[in-house]
Amino acid sequence: MASDDKPHAERFPFGIVGAGLGVVTRQLPPDEPPPLAPNADLAVIGRPVPRQNGRAKVTGATRFTVDISLPGMLHGRILRSPLAHAEIHGIDVTAAARHPGTRAVLVVARPDELTGATLRYVGAPVAAVAAVSMVAAAEALRLIRVDYQSLPFVADMDEARNATAPPVFDAASAPAGYASGFPARLNLPLDGNVRGPATDGRGDTAEGFAEADLVVEGEYRTQVQTHCCLEPHAIVADWRADGLTVYMSTQFTAGVRHELAEAFGLPLDRVRVIVDGMGGGFGSKSTLGSYGRIAVALSRQAQAPVRLVLDRQEEQMDSGNRPATWQRLRIGAKRDGSLTAISLVSYGTAGVALGAGVGNVAQALYACPNFAAAQYDVFTNASPGCAMRAPGNAPGAFGLEQAIDELAERLQLDPLTLRDHIDPSPVRREERRIGAERIGWRRRHAPGADPGPIKRGMGVAQSLWGANVQTNSACEVRVMRDGSVEVLSSVQDIGTGIGTVLAQTVAEVLGLHSEAITVRIGDTEFPAGPPSYGSRTTASITPPARAAAWRVLRPLFREAALALNAAAEDMAVRDGRILVRGDSGRSIDFRDAAARLRTDRISAVASRSDDYGGFRWRMADAAQARQDLGGVQFAAVAVDTETGVIRVERVVAVQDCGRPMNPLLIESQVQGGVLMGLSYALFEERILDRHTGRMVNPNLEQYKLAGACDTPAIDVVVLENYQANSATDAYGIAEPANIATAPAIANAVYNAIGLRLRALPMTPAAVLAALGKFPARS
Amino acid sequence: MSAAPRTIRFTLNGRTVAAEVAPQESLVTMLRDRFALYGARESCGQGLCGCCTVLVDGRAVSSCLALAALVDGRAVTTIEHLDADGTLDPVQQAFIEAGAFQCGFCTPGFVLMTRQLLEQHPDPGDDDIRHYLAGNLCRCGAYPEIVQAVKLAAAKRRGAAG
Amino acid sequence: MNRFTWATARTIAEAAAAASTIVADAMTALPETAGPGDGTIVKAGGIDILDLLKENLLVPARVASLRDIPDLDAIVEEADSGCRLGAMATLAGLAAHPLLRQRYPAVTDAAGESASPQIRNLATLGGNLLQRPRCWYFRAAEYRCLRKGGGNCFAIPGENQYHAIFGNRPCAIVHPSTVATALVALGATVDLIDAEGAVRRLSLEDFFLPPERDLQRENDLRPHEILTAINLPPLPTSARMVHLRQGEKDAFDWPLADVAVLLDLSPEGICRSASIVLGAAAPVPHRAKPAENALLGKHIDESTAGAAARAALAGATPLAKNAYKTPLFEALIRRALLKAAAPIVKERG
Repeated sequence: MASDDKPHAERFPFGIVGAGLGVVTRQLPPDEPPPLAPNADLAVIGRPVPRQNGRAKVTGATRFTVDISLPGMLHGRILRSPLAHAEIHGIDVTAAARHPGTRAVLVVARPDELTGATLRYVGAPVAAVAAVSMVAAAEALRLIRVDYQSLPFVADMDEARNATAPPVFDAASAPAGYASGFPARLNLPLDGNVRGPATDGRGDTAEGFAEADLVVEGEYRTQVQTHCCLEPHAIVADWRADGLTVYMSTQFTAGVRHELAEAFGLPLDRVRVIVDGMGGGFGSKSTLGSYGRIAVALSRQAQAPVRLVLDRQEEQMDSGNRPATWQRLRIGAKRDGSLTAISLVSYGTAGVALGAGVGNVAQALYACPNFAAAQYDVFTNASPGCAMRAPGNAPGAFGLEQAIDELAERLQLDPLTLRDHIDPSPVRREERRIGAERIGWRRRHAPGADPGPIKRGMGVAQSLWGANVQTNSACEVRVMRDGSVEVLSSVQDIGTGIGTVLAQTVAEVLGLHSEAITVRIGDTEFPAGPPSYGSRTTASITPPARAAAWRVLRPLFREAALALNAAAEDMAVRDGRILVRGDSGRSIDFRDAAARLRTDRISAVASRSDDYGGFRWRMADAAQARQDLGGVQFAAVAVDTETGVIRVERVVAVQDCGRPMNPLLIESQVQGGVLMGLSYALFEERILDRHTGRMVNPNLEQYKLAGACDTPAIDVVVLENYQANSATDAYGIAEPANIATAPAIANAVYNAIGLRLRALPMTPAAVLAALGKFPARS
Repeated sequence: MSAAPRTIRFTLNGRTVAAEVAPQESLVTMLRDRFALYGARESCGQGLCGCCTVLVDGRAVSSCLALAALVDGRAVTTIEHLDADGTLDPVQQAFIEAGAFQCGFCTPGFVLMTRQLLEQHPDPGDDDIRHYLAGNLCRCGAYPEIVQAVKLAAAKRRGAAG
Repeated sequence: MNRFTWATARTIAEAAAAASTIVADAMTALPETAGPGDGTIVKAGGIDILDLLKENLLVPARVASLRDIPDLDAIVEEADSGCRLGAMATLAGLAAHPLLRQRYPAVTDAAGESASPQIRNLATLGGNLLQRPRCWYFRAAEYRCLRKGGGNCFAIPGENQYHAIFGNRPCAIVHPSTVATALVALGATVDLIDAEGAVRRLSLEDFFLPPERDLQRENDLRPHEILTAINLPPLPTSARMVHLRQGEKDAFDWPLADVAVLLDLSPEGICRSASIVLGAAAPVPHRAKPAENALLGKHIDESTAGAAARAALAGATPLAKNAYKTPLFEALIRRALLKAAAPIVKERG
């Protein structure tokens, strides 16, 4: 241990277990714990440990933000725009303020400001009240008089691209930014409602297509999907003279604290953000949001706590969504399948926001010397999109992976054979092998081979996702004199079970059971943890947890060494005891060692080191490892050619997430990703009325989510892939698992009926139309 | 004609209680605001997601679509009652063992619906399970584990009965 | 949700006396005057009423519940071996009723597939038949559509993928009740009782009003009337009944199409009578008379069932986004007919 404070070389496990696990030597940064053995040699990490908070969840004891009730708490509610595009000439809130239940009134879209008086989508916040009850708040809202002047609007992306379309913004008011999928592009041109292109490329695609023996070309469309968190967006804001406390259903307590401090001019130490139970986010609860700002402003004005919970309609209309896209893909290939060129043009709309790009998979999934992409964001009078589970890559893979499937068919190659040829990833190669065997790929037949109206088919699709890291991630581990252990971080558990994983990580280091570790998270009073988005939580917070535990163990080792008359560097842990390495007869109970401590509590705080192998890129607190997280999914479907109904019968999902920390939790994440992908593929769609710009299905009745009855048999296989990058070598899983499902289903549908569905969702109407079962209409 | 509010009496988790409720007050609002029972939560507001499920006379109902007055003279069981004696119900135990949840927001509703299912079908087949769970949504997508938990719970209950 | 007061009713007469306003009339008031009038509306299970109240589509002054009236939920076998279904019977109660399951499986299937289990435990047969349409323009307070007393249908030029393909002018709602599809196919009647106790009995088919007869009301329930029961006629033992529905999802979903078929077949398998009703097709349960006529005197086989299905859809007038319903209905009708005839086919084979 003497050399811990200097970088030194160490040997790490490296590669895929079962497919060439080896060893690599890397420099270990100072003060980092020694390399962690593969899971097979560990006691707690990698084991299917059930969730720590299971009992609270099954008994209803978990407190979600919607359950927080503070003394004197008021109820906030937001008045929203009924029009898709309007200018507000006046707002009269006097009657609302006079309502006996009203305690605060806030004008959000203030006419006398240069900006903010224009409303650009149905559901945009106009004003808000806080009142003594929900009924009173609703009554007060109805007393607000707003003088709207309706403006021309455009809600449809194709129409918005026309030069004659009403402009959503002008150059001054339009948000700056980029189409996502590549690193940020600023200062892109704005032409009408079209921002872009964000371009990227390598080689020369003109040459590439000239060299090609075969070119496939297709247009793909994906719909707007909404997050549909079952716990609505919710906040309880408690503004007091000595500081602000906010309970919020958020994916990022530490980030919200920053936003609040900045928005309300408070020092960070006067802002506290807390979340206990968190009922789903999927990207939509990443930031403070307008509703969060409103709740805090109402609390400041009323000098009382304010709870603001969006109702289901507000959830659907203004809490973020996955942008719709249109993609044109051209892929050129040689006879042997080698790709010569990929060209992508995409238009996407996140409503009044940016970030609809889809280019990452086309850019990076396959080896191809020539690539060119031009991506555009189209502004429409629709609510702002935001990140949603694998933004960009989920819609992008729907296009690319169907195009590759089509190419395979045109080349008369098995889709797996083609991918073996063009996909450089050894991870996905292994995943294809495993998945093909599980699904019984050899039984796959030609399209339309089934007799009778029900046609069955199998399809495959692949994914990649960045191994993301939040370097601003810290964790504290405390050991008390009685041997009890706490792990603390502001990181929040949005359902993935990160608390359980932290307990496992610390328990592994200290030689304890994971149940012995008390997990305190979801509170910015603790060291700042990472966000629960971008599939970076486990990758960011488990390495510092292991580092902090390892550091806090050193004083215990010193005490144990004294007690055992041995050297501290010879100490090891096992089954609740500290022992002399190589002499297990000499040991001391962990608690007895703790009892020898000079003080009641010792503690260590560690932060996320850089990846040992370096990062591909970093921007502020975010960074991306060199490795990619590869996934392959297979789907088996049955298509009823008379009713148009597609039923997914089986999905096999094979996924890489580095070191799997807890297979129980990971498999659950993968299944969840598959189901969200299935629901995206077959059912979900935000439908806007083109004449009013209003969402006509802002509910869970006609916005359709897959249920238990729609769930296929799902086989999950998780690789163990060591890349010697951090103290745990663990990376994300939630988003990767959501990318390949829709294209795998689409490819299976093609294999069933011989027709390619290039638009989502693949409803009975779409299938019957593709089958030519009813006359097409203009 | 009776003027609001009105007093209702009912059995709540085994205790006789009374509450003065406004006519427009929903059952879920009453349980949360007057009895501090937070396990039933309004989510979709239309009785289609199952998050607000409670048992009324043993039947699972959507408490967001029922007025509080509905339960006058009846027996209401919420998720909080299932481990009233300190022991988890076999359904709750099975949900933990099967890992049948992620965020847990929908879990009380699934547990209560499963209770009704197992009362009526002690040995449910896949179709029974899917039929009974058609009104519960889990956006995290834990359905495979939930179905597994229902089967596990059925086995536990049969084992206990035998 | 807006405030209202209770009106108590312990007898049908009290309820009828209180029932000054039917829900449809309460919803056609102009938005500016939409504050509570002095009308009293009636609720059964309250599912649809609560949905309307929450959306501020309905702002009643008073609500009378039928829940305290004894025996309104009874399911009784009649002397002629028909059945009388009390209007307050729950959908779950209907679905699980052993005698109904045996004699009227299409009705129990339809009831058992309606809404969600948690709703079926609360929702009543009467409320199900009287529920307002699910048209998403009708259900949004922002759209003052024809059915709410406004001047436009927003669905016909708008988003109409789930709307009607028959009788869809000037209003394109589909009738929301799946149970009604089965009941109309059966030839059920409905009992309406007024405050004096007078019973008005009419066929369920006539009880439902298409837009050309009434643009605002889906049925002929009048003020101061209570829907108390549905009467199911006795069926010959040779009768065969099938109900099929297809949604986009298998978990809770409204049907894209639903079909109820009642056949009476001779021992030789010849169709002596046929009743074919389509749900989610028209503003009222849609009787497919051309299909019924096409089957009379015929064996039911792939060919005759297919011909009948095509005849059923011949008069369809789909809108811009719902033409897919035509082949979908054809498939379901053909399958329902073949399923209904299957046992006979088997015996003959």
